[in-house]
Amino acid sequence: MSNGLKTSQTTLVSAEQLRWCADNNVILDDISFAIEKGSFTGILGPNGAGKSSLLRCLYRFIKPEQGIVSFESQDIWQINASDFAKKVAVVLQETPSHFNLTVHDVVALGLIPHKGIFARANKSDDENISQALAQVGLTHKYKQSFEHLSGGEKQRVLIARAIVQSPSLLIMDEPTSHLDVRYQIQIMELAKSLGITVIASFHDLNLASAMCDNILVLNQGKLVCQGTPQAVLTREMLSDVFGVCAHVSEHHQHKVPHISYYYGYIQHDTEHGDSHV
Amino acid sequence: MFNAVVEKKQGSKASDGIINQQVIMILVLAMCVFSFFCALSFGAANITFTDVWQSLWQSLLPHETSNDTNFIQRIIVELRMPRALLAFLAGSGLAISGLILQIVTRNPLADPYLFGISSGASLGVVILIAFTGGIFTVMTPIAAFVGSLVAMVMLMLIAGRKQSQQVESMLLAGVALSFLFSSFTSLLLYHTDPQAVTAVLFWTMGSFSRAQWDNLFFPAFIIIACITFMLAYRRQLNAMLLGDESATTLGINVNRFRIIMLLLSSLITATLVSMCGGIGFVGLMIPHIVRFFISQGTVFGIVLTALVGGIFMVWVDIISRTLLVNQELPVGVITAAAGSLFFLTLLYFRKNRPS
Repeated sequence: MSNGLKTSQTTLVSAEQLRWCADNNVILDDISFAIEKGSFTGILGPNGAGKSSLLRCLYRFIKPEQGIVSFESQDIWQINASDFAKKVAVVLQETPSHFNLTVHDVVALGLIPHKGIFARANKSDDENISQALAQVGLTHKYKQSFEHLSGGEKQRVLIARAIVQSPSLLIMDEPTSHLDVRYQIQIMELAKSLGITVIASFHDLNLASAMCDNILVLNQGKLVCQGTPQAVLTREMLSDVFGVCAHVSEHHQHKVPHISYYYGYIQHDTEHGDSHV
Repeated sequence: MFNAVVEKKQGSKASDGIINQQVIMILVLAMCVFSFFCALSFGAANITFTDVWQSLWQSLLPHETSNDTNFIQRIIVELRMPRALLAFLAGSGLAISGLILQIVTRNPLADPYLFGISSGASLGVVILIAFTGGIFTVMTPIAAFVGSLVAMVMLMLIAGRKQSQQVESMLLAGVALSFLFSSFTSLLLYHTDPQAVTAVLFWTMGSFSRAQWDNLFFPAFIIIACITFMLAYRRQLNAMLLGDESATTLGINVNRFRIIMLLLSSLITATLVSMCGGIGFVGLMIPHIVRFFISQGTVFGIVLTALVGGIFMVWVDIISRTLLVNQELPVGVITAAAGSLFFLTLLYFRKNRPS
C-alpha cells in the first residue's frame, strides 16, 4: 500500500498520546499513530502488552485517561454511540452463551445501529443478511443454532454480522485464536476481501506479515515500532519484544518477511541467564 | 466427510423449523382458546362447553334468557372469566419477566424471585398483618406492592451504581436482599399469633381467588406495556446475549438498558405478587421450555413464551380448583410440583437424545 501518503485526508483513525491505567497499573502509555483509509493494520505484541486495551480504546469501550482517539477527524467520544456503531464494527473473541440464538439472529444483530426500535426488517435488510452469510460461506447454516457451530464458523458468523453493520472500519480482537491454521487464514483473508479498513490484533506473526499493510508493535503498554511488515518484523524486534531468536527470510509466495524461530531456550537460559528477555 | 453428512442432516432439520414456526403458533393459539374454554367449564358448578359457548355469545349480545342460564352465565362471566384471565396474565407476565432477566443477566437460572422482589412483597404483607391483626383486607395487595417496590429500589441503588461487573453485583445483591427480607419476615411471624402465620403461609403459596374484573386492568396494562417494550427492543436484548462488550460495540448503553429491563420485570413481578401471592418457578421454567424448541431471538420467541406461560398457568388454576372436591389447592404448590416434574422429564429426554 501507499505508505508515503500520510496526509490527513487519507487518515481514518488516529490516536494521540493515549494513556490508560487500570488499578494504578499503566496499561497504555503515550501511544500515537494514524491509520489510513483502506489499509489493513495488525497489532502485535506479547501477552499483556496492551493489545486488547488499545483496541478497546479504539472501539469506544474504554475511555483513555489522556489523549484522543479520532475517527474521521472527530473525537470518538463526541460521536453518539449508535452513529459510531454505524461506522465501526467489532469482532471479538467468541463469547459463550447458553441461549438458543440462530445464525440468522446473530447476523441480524448487525442491523441494530441502523434500525429504530419499532422498525421491522425489510426486504433489503433480509437481502443484506443473506448476502453477508453468502460472503462468509454459511448460507446453508442460517437456521442453525449459533452455539453448535465450530469456532471458525462462529467467527465467520460474527464477521457476517459486521458486514451487515456496513462499517467503514472493522476492528478484530484476536479473531483467530483457538482456530486451526486453515481458518486463521480464511478469517483474515475474508476480512481483507471486504475492502474496508481493518485493524486486528494477531498472535501469529507470519500471518500478520502476510496480511498487513501496516503493523503496530506494543510492548508493556508502549508503542515500540510501526511500519510495513518489512520494516517492523526484524530479528532485533523479535528478540527485544518477544524474547525469541529467529531468522527472518522472505516468503517465497509474496515476498513478505517470513519468520522461522530457533529453539532450545531452556538450555540457553540456564547457561546465560535471562539476558535477552 | 462425516462432518458434511452431519451438517446436512442438521440443515434439513433446521429448515423444517421455519415451517414449524407457523404450525407451532397455530397450535399454541388453538391451545389457548381450548384452555380458556376448559377454565370456564371446569369447576365446582357443572357447566358444559355448550353452556360456555352460549353464555359467551349472550354476554356479547344480550338476549332474553331464563333464570337458569342467567345463573350459569353469571358464574362464567363474573367468577371464572376474570379468574382465568388473571391466571393467564400471571403466567405470561412471570414467564416474560423471567425471560427478560435471563437475557440481561445472561444467567439461565435467573428468575423474578431471585432478586428479592417476592420476599419484599411477603415482608410488606407480614408487616401489615402484624400491625392490623391478621385479617386480609383490600390493603394486602397494596402492602405487597409497596414491599416489592422497596426491594426493587434497593436493588437498583446497589446494582445501578456499579458500572463494571454489573451482572454479578445484581445477582449477589438480589440474593442478599432476599435473605434479608426473609429474616425480617420470620422475625415478625415469630411474634405474631398462629392464625396470622397460617394466613401469611396461604398467601405466599399463591391463589387467583381474588380475581375480579375491576382489578384486572392494572396488571393487564403493565404486562401488555412491558411486552410491547420488549418487542420493541428485541434486537438489543439479543445483542446482550453475546456479551456486554459486543453489545456496546453495537451502540447499546448496556448498563442503562439492563437497569431498565430489570425495572420492567420487577414491575411485572411486583404487580402479580401483590395480586396473586408468590407463584414461583414459572419465570424460571417457561423460558427454558420454550428455548428447548425454538430460537428465542425473534418476536415469535417472545410472544410464544408469554402464551405458553399463560396457558400453563390457566391449567394450573384449573387443577387447583378441581383436584380436590370443594377445596382449593394453593397455586404455588401445583406450579412447583407440575412444573418441576415436567421440566425434569424434558431434561431427561433431551439429555438422552443424540444431538
